[in-house]
Amino acid sequence: MLSVKGVSRSFGGVYAVREVSLDIAEGEVRGVIGPNGAGKSTLFSLITGHLAADGGAISLGSERIERLPAHRRARLGVSIAFQGARVFRGMTVRENVMVGAHGRTRAGFAAAALRLPRHRRDEREIARRADEALERVGLTEWAGREAGLLPLGQQRSMQVARALCAGPRLLLLDEPASGLRAAEREALATLIEELRAGGLTIMLVEHDVAFVTRLADRITVLNLGEVITEGTPAEVRADPLVVSAYLGAAS
Amino acid sequence: MTSPPTGEDAGPRPHGPGGPPAAARDLPHDPPGGARVTPPSTPQDAPAPGPARRAARLLPGLVVGAVTLALPAVLDDSALTVYIFLGLAAMVTVGVSLLMGYAGQVSLGQGAFYAVGGYTAGILAVRGGPPIAGLLAAPVVAAAFAVVVGVPLLRLRGHHLAFATLAMQLIVLSLAGRLAITGGDIGLQAIPPFGWGSFELTGAVGYAYLTWGGVALVMLVTRNVIVSRPGRALRALATSETAAASSGVPVGRYKLVVFALSAAFAGLAGGIYAYYTGYVAPSSFPVLLSIEYIVMAVVGGLGTVWGAVVGAAAITLLVQALNLIGTAPGMPSYAPSVLSYAVYAVVLITVVLFLPRGLFPAAVARLRRAPRP
Ligand SMILES: Nc1ncnc2c1ncn2[C@@H]1O[C@H](COP(=O)(O)OP(=O)(O)O)[C@@H](O)[C@H]1O
Ligand SMILES: [Mg+2]
Repeated sequence: MLSVKGVSRSFGGVYAVREVSLDIAEGEVRGVIGPNGAGKSTLFSLITGHLAADGGAISLGSERIERLPAHRRARLGVSIAFQGARVFRGMTVRENVMVGAHGRTRAGFAAAALRLPRHRRDEREIARRADEALERVGLTEWAGREAGLLPLGQQRSMQVARALCAGPRLLLLDEPASGLRAAEREALATLIEELRAGGLTIMLVEHDVAFVTRLADRITVLNLGEVITEGTPAEVRADPLVVSAYLGAAS
Repeated sequence: MTSPPTGEDAGPRPHGPGGPPAAARDLPHDPPGGARVTPPSTPQDAPAPGPARRAARLLPGLVVGAVTLALPAVLDDSALTVYIFLGLAAMVTVGVSLLMGYAGQVSLGQGAFYAVGGYTAGILAVRGGPPIAGLLAAPVVAAAFAVVVGVPLLRLRGHHLAFATLAMQLIVLSLAGRLAITGGDIGLQAIPPFGWGSFELTGAVGYAYLTWGGVALVMLVTRNVIVSRPGRALRALATSETAAASSGVPVGRYKLVVFALSAAFAGLAGGIYAYYTGYVAPSSFPVLLSIEYIVMAVVGGLGTVWGAVVGAAAITLLVQALNLIGTAPGMPSYAPSVLSYAVYAVVLITVVLFLPRGLFPAAVARLRRAPRP
């Protein structure tokens, strides 16, 4: 369902992602691991469209997306929870999550200014989606709070809710568990399992190898911008390249 | 007011392989404060409380509305003039608050849109166009002009955008001073008054109602926008364009639309100004005007609709009072202008230091804290 072919991106002559290719099946949970600076976040930005690739092709289903701007890719169903919390300040938690439904609705300035029926319909739809997403990540009680004042763990859950509110086809999670406490981590793992059971395709970047191993169907290992191996969690763990490049570097 | 833009949209931040550990490095992707204007405050869209409390919340608005409607009947002519100019300033300032306070884009060129509106109405009127058409064309042409200049300008952020919009106003004024259609330096004189059919709006009272009707319209549109889907998108892109885009918000287009909307508000005010004064010239739209709107918006409270009106009222009345002092017998001839320039600086600094959220939010917070009888 997602196919990345020979995608590269360099910064000032240094490759952050180099000739990366991967294919992700519908409903798969793909782990992406690698040391700091391996290019994981850059790869996500290339998929979401926040960065333009220097070369290569990216397809979502049958559609080529590598030239589309980020908001168009979002509308096609690519959602991301960024590494670190990107909170819309001055807005409540619920409003933050509601923004996630933007691409699923259409009422614009005129409809809002004139309070047209489409505006009311879309507001109802957005509120329904947001409340459902808040419920999923367990933030219902926090809905009315100013989002910028939330503890970091809740801010991250809120980002996941915002991504879910869009009703994505492909969900990218960039280190969603870092900075979470054990119970929050467990809740996140449960949520990811539920989402997979619901058939959602997920890409998961995470430092905690045990966490990824438990959740991922397959794992791609990046080092210095290149894919060094790919396989099931068991295969990847046994790969000597991985042990030296990643597990070695991490310890 | 604003500091330089940051690279929050440059995707992952640069860091060498030997950089700081992941957790420390990655947390503040959007640097707090800094880049953008004061974060927009939550609008008044809390779930509707019981009918009694709802009425209590509507009451202040009704009182303000009644006073606004009653004032033209009791004010004398010179006070009415101030009242009209206050309303025109409020109309522009609501747009500034929307653009700057909610969408996080700074414009030092709102005076240019005011001028475009004024000239549009003026040109149509002196050529015998129906006044209604002139009044409608003023905001439409100002908005269209904003779209045209906004396409290149809105690629800029923070103070770059502020300076570019300021430059735009200088260019507009210099063009207006040169072109034949705008009457050059002399401007357009003897613009016929507003009216419809055989009716002509000549008295100040009529213009006061027209102006404050415009203020009400602009406030209503702004409030409706900010508490709904496009408004949330604007408030979102003010803090993170990246995160807004990844939620499907067409960031560039939305910035253009809000720029055009704020320009339309200014254009409407400019159109009314042209009919009311019967005269527009480059000197009617000094650059100081644009700064004044920003001061009004900041003083009243960015990111609140009422704050814009409160700020416009506070500054207009203060400048008026200082004018009286400055023109008192025995004062030097430069006193009025020096005093009015000084007041912008002093008021702005005082408010930013002591009431950083602005007069209106501070007053509301104080009222809320006060014990209820
Ligand atoms: N916007 C950028 N400008 C310059 N270099 C960048 C930028 N984004 C990432 N890089 C570089 O690309 C490499 C990969 O970074 P990143 O994708 O963030 O790694 P990871 O997420 O795997 O830790 C790093 O060496 C980093 O310095
Ligand atoms: Mg990363």
